Amino acid sequence: MSLIEIQQLHLKIDDNPILSDINLSFTKGDYLCLLGPNGAGKSTLIKTLIGLYPINSGEILLQGKPLNHYSPKHRAQQISYVPQVHTHVLQHKVVDFIRMSRYPWRHSLSSWTPADQQAIDHAFALTHTANFADRPMQELSGGETQRIMITAALAQQSQVLLLDEPCSFLDPRYQTEIHNLIYQLNQQHGISIIEASHDINHAAVHSQHILALKQGQENWQGKSAHFLTPDRLANLYDQNFVLSTHPTTGATIALTAA
Amino acid sequence: MQKSQLTLSLLVIASLLILFITPQLGLQLDDDSQRRVLLDIRLPRVLFAFIAGAGLALCGMVFQTLFHNPLATPFTLGVASGASLGAALYVAAGISFSLFGIAGGTLAAFIGALFAITIVYSLSRLRRQFEPNTLLLIGVALSFFFSSLILFSQYLSNITDSFRIIRWLMGSLTIIGYHDIFQLLPFVALVTATIIWAAPELNLLTTGDEIALSRGVNVTKLHFLLFFITSLCVGAIVALCGPIGFVGMMVPHICRLLIGNDHHTLTPATLLFGGSFLVLCDTVARLILAPTELPVGIISTLLGGPFFLWLLIRKK
Repeated sequence: MSLIEIQQLHLKIDDNPILSDINLSFTKGDYLCLLGPNGAGKSTLIKTLIGLYPINSGEILLQGKPLNHYSPKHRAQQISYVPQVHTHVLQHKVVDFIRMSRYPWRHSLSSWTPADQQAIDHAFALTHTANFADRPMQELSGGETQRIMITAALAQQSQVLLLDEPCSFLDPRYQTEIHNLIYQLNQQHGISIIEASHDINHAAVHSQHILALKQGQENWQGKSAHFLTPDRLANLYDQNFVLSTHPTTGATIALTAA
Repeated sequence: MQKSQLTLSLLVIASLLILFITPQLGLQLDDDSQRRVLLDIRLPRVLFAFIAGAGLALCGMVFQTLFHNPLATPFTLGVASGASLGAALYVAAGISFSLFGIAGGTLAAFIGALFAITIVYSLSRLRRQFEPNTLLLIGVALSFFFSSLILFSQYLSNITDSFRIIRWLMGSLTIIGYHDIFQLLPFVALVTATIIWAAPELNLLTTGDEIALSRGVNVTKLHFLLFFITSLCVGAIVALCGPIGFVGMMVPHICRLLIGNDHHTLTPATLLFGGSFLVLCDTVARLILAPTELPVGIISTLLGGPFFLWLLIRKK
């Protein structure tokens, strides 16, 4: 059974159609990349899955049950989220921020349990950030902040991790670091991932499936290994691409044609 | 002991000292009649000021957290003006009633507050990406609008009612006996209990609405609940004491600097600090021109205006 099943999803915000006729079947352990130009609806699709936008028609099923039948806490036990670069000034110590991720598993008056502690220790270990624990959030660099955002989402112990362009505005070193981290989480730890991205080469190499959106509609969907062709990219982005081979990894890569 | 617990303990001691000393100021306690003054006038007034100050500060804290803005409080967003309008209309209408033991003025103020917060909240939701300053401008516009309606209702009422409205708009804690305390206490207690219960959710909201939502907080439901309960409390305070400005902005902000943003410790700190602060303001208002008493709202606003400007400039 699919973990997330989207059927004929239509969504409007302030009467503007943002998503139309989206269909998707996402299985456990999959790594799906959402690609497409700015304003294609990638972020909206992700935010719909965390319950920010009500859907107009169609259906989103989470483990066979409609998403809007889940209570927010119950949904958060299944789906966690890493935002685009965060604009809020967070005045928390890293460890306090991570501890808050245990919210969906806790009752309002219950005390901190060994299971809670184990979950955050495990999350710190997966992202190698335990040494950040006592630092204030506002002192972290952009790349460090994103690693902590991923750690926090992992501490939530959900089945699916949603990431909304986690690498935009990061420098190449941190981009590579975050890409590799996400890939590892999927490959070695079996975490199911849906990531919105603008990095087509990263998507083609690391993800298993790609859903390409354009103007709120599906432009292409399939296995990532079949994604990179000049025609498809030109059609998706209205920009010409050429394909080449990476000199060291041997992977096919797309470069924008001048 | 953690730093926040130490700060909290010091606040408890300071609050107890203030509650003990301020009622006695200027009284000779070996005189029987003066002792009566202490028990029948001073003590209830100080307790009343403490409860009102605590309520104002807690409501301010909730607004700051919900709107992610240190300048957003029931006063800056026009909710207190809405409550004032409700109460002023009640006085001007010359009617008098009560429901379930709650005075009609309180109910009218509560309806006004609820009306104002509904307008602010709907406008702030109209567009997704909302500039924080736009929110404050909505509040300013709303305050002006309600103020002119208050002036209008005052113009239409007779001299006595008109004077009552003016004096009350200055914010005053002049009460006699314990009756008014029991009119106020349930509302402040309700706000306090709700905030303590919702502390984990409020903490998550400080990380932004989207993250809070993704962690499983029912953000919309929480907004409605907290706006309803704070409107109730602001309505009750405004009806009984008039609009006492800026306590709700200064106190929680200072407490955040002192003790951090964890609502588990921030809530008791804000409650104690807010209560003590208004007691001190009222004591100053009572003594500065003795035997004439200044309305306490004048003192708190005199302190609050410069503080507001400091906050605005500091943010840049």
